[in-house]
Amino acid sequence: MSIEIRNISKRFGNFVALDGINLDIPTGELVALLGPSGCGKTTLLRIIAGMESADGGEVLFSGAEATHLHARERNVGFVFQHYALFRHMTVFENVAFGLRVKPRRERLGEAEIRRRVMELLGLVQLDWLADRYPSQLSGGQRQRIALARALAVEPKVLLLDEPFGALDTKVRKELRRWLRRLHDEMHISSVFVTHDQEEALEVADRVVVMNHGRIEQIGSPDEVYSNPASPFVYQFLGNVNVFHSRLHGGFAEVERGSCEAGATAFVRPHDIDIVRQELEGGMPATVQHVHPIGPVVRVELQHDSEIIEVELSRERQEMLRLEAGQAVWFRPRQMKVFGQEASLAPPPARQPFLF
Amino acid sequence: MTTHSHRVLPGFGLSLGYTLVYLSLLILLPLGGMVLKTADLGFAQVVEIALGERSLAAFRVTFGASLAAAVVNGFFGLVVAWVLVRYEFPGKRFVDALVDLPFALPTAVAGITLATLYAGNGWLGRWIEPLGLKIAYTPWGIVVALIFVTLPFVVRTLQPVIEDIEAEVEEAAASLGASRWQTFLKVILPAIFPALLTGFALAFSRAVGEYGSVIFIAGNLPLISEITPLLIISKLEQYDVLGATALAVVMLAISFVLLLAINGLQWWAANRYTNREPLEAAAGRASAGAAR
Repeated sequence: MSIEIRNISKRFGNFVALDGINLDIPTGELVALLGPSGCGKTTLLRIIAGMESADGGEVLFSGAEATHLHARERNVGFVFQHYALFRHMTVFENVAFGLRVKPRRERLGEAEIRRRVMELLGLVQLDWLADRYPSQLSGGQRQRIALARALAVEPKVLLLDEPFGALDTKVRKELRRWLRRLHDEMHISSVFVTHDQEEALEVADRVVVMNHGRIEQIGSPDEVYSNPASPFVYQFLGNVNVFHSRLHGGFAEVERGSCEAGATAFVRPHDIDIVRQELEGGMPATVQHVHPIGPVVRVELQHDSEIIEVELSRERQEMLRLEAGQAVWFRPRQMKVFGQEASLAPPPARQPFLF
Repeated sequence: MTTHSHRVLPGFGLSLGYTLVYLSLLILLPLGGMVLKTADLGFAQVVEIALGERSLAAFRVTFGASLAAAVVNGFFGLVVAWVLVRYEFPGKRFVDALVDLPFALPTAVAGITLATLYAGNGWLGRWIEPLGLKIAYTPWGIVVALIFVTLPFVVRTLQPVIEDIEAEVEEAAASLGASRWQTFLKVILPAIFPALLTGFALAFSRAVGEYGSVIFIAGNLPLISEITPLLIISKLEQYDVLGATALAVVMLAISFVLLLAINGLQWWAANRYTNREPLEAAAGRASAGAAR
């Protein structure tokens, strides 16, 4: 089932949660709503689910008006950040709930319910926990049960609100991959909300980046990462060094005047080269800290009064042997420049760093 | 063999000792004295007093009216607690404070007020009596007085529990297709049921011991609207101390058994859903099963 969102807006008192959102989600796609907390992503998800009503605009399911349908008539599966399992029911009864509350003429027989529930529990690999209560499960198990419960009613759309937010990193990674596989098998339209850019980029077919109740950019994970439409998207998706041309006269110069005063240059930490000997066009800096973090080495440089973050591979660091206090030269390999009116102006094409 | 668990707050021995001494002095000693005093009578005589026509009728009225009041409050107290927790309306704080009033009001004042209201010429009584329903000076009056006195117990026990229910659980039920009624019956009620039982038990036990408000509205006709506490007082007034203690001990025994049963039920309802076996054991079983 496809979802169309037309001009949805929502306020809470004076706070604008959503401001004229338009979004199309085609059938079978896995879409991530990504943004900082308070950007309206969860509100949008709850409006799609019918748990919140929009002040204006329309929601269409498969082209049919659904704005005023009650949550129970929408046929959507919803997974909550904190699981929202029924504490007083066993895992089996939790999953069976959606099947048991159906109107009598649609209800399945007890044997059929049993078969369906066990099949779903098998799908989430927890059939051995059928007669446990939620309080006896770990967080990851609870979330898998919540997913099985949502899938039991064969929803046309699956909505997940920060589904892995309350879990630890390792379980989160596992479940992420597992969700992707599940989605590929079931092929229902899914929307999930997250503030974790890595999660969004890894799992989703398409990423919708939101900020202050508006959509900043819609695109494939690769698109939004390598070609961000606005400074916000650039900064939200990964670490970034920001250079203001006014402060860094050298930069305006190396830009060969192509960049007006007040423009801002964004450079990812892994797009910066460091060398030990003086480099023409490069900028001098002092090494402040060297932190080896897993496969990469994070180096903090001080240039004038600014701290610049650089990520090197381990091999590169082994060649350079950087230590705190050393004088080095650096230059960005590539960067992206946004003018002062970045949000209004069309995004400039990515430009190579020119010397 | 002994395992030492280090608690953040020490003093288990001290606090337990204090608890036992305190409860002994306040509850066990007076009650024990009462039982001892009855022992002077001998078992057969106690039974004879308890099974007398007048005392039997009084027991029936006391426990029957208390049960009725607790049941009524179990339902309407739930409604009041629900409204106070879930909805915002002007004057909510005022209504919330009203609930506690029966706690604070001298029970005799409550009794006199209710009797005046429900009497044949009272504000409410003059409309109700033509319908053929007499409330003041009948057992119904006792029920009304007990409902008034015990309302706060149910409301105050339920409020925090209803506040604790996550809205998400209800939303989950709705998104799974449950109607409002199904959500209430299958999701909300099981969650608040233990607290509802506690409130019920508190209201019931308070009602059994209630004296002040009842005597003014009951009419106190022997065999019809006479409650056991009143019967005990009248025996005392006739210097029949032994007869009074005998009745008191029987009443105590019945109350204790009933409360024990309700507590047992409540304990069962509250503990159905918690750990009975460590998860690792189940996991071990499952992997053993998988290995076979």
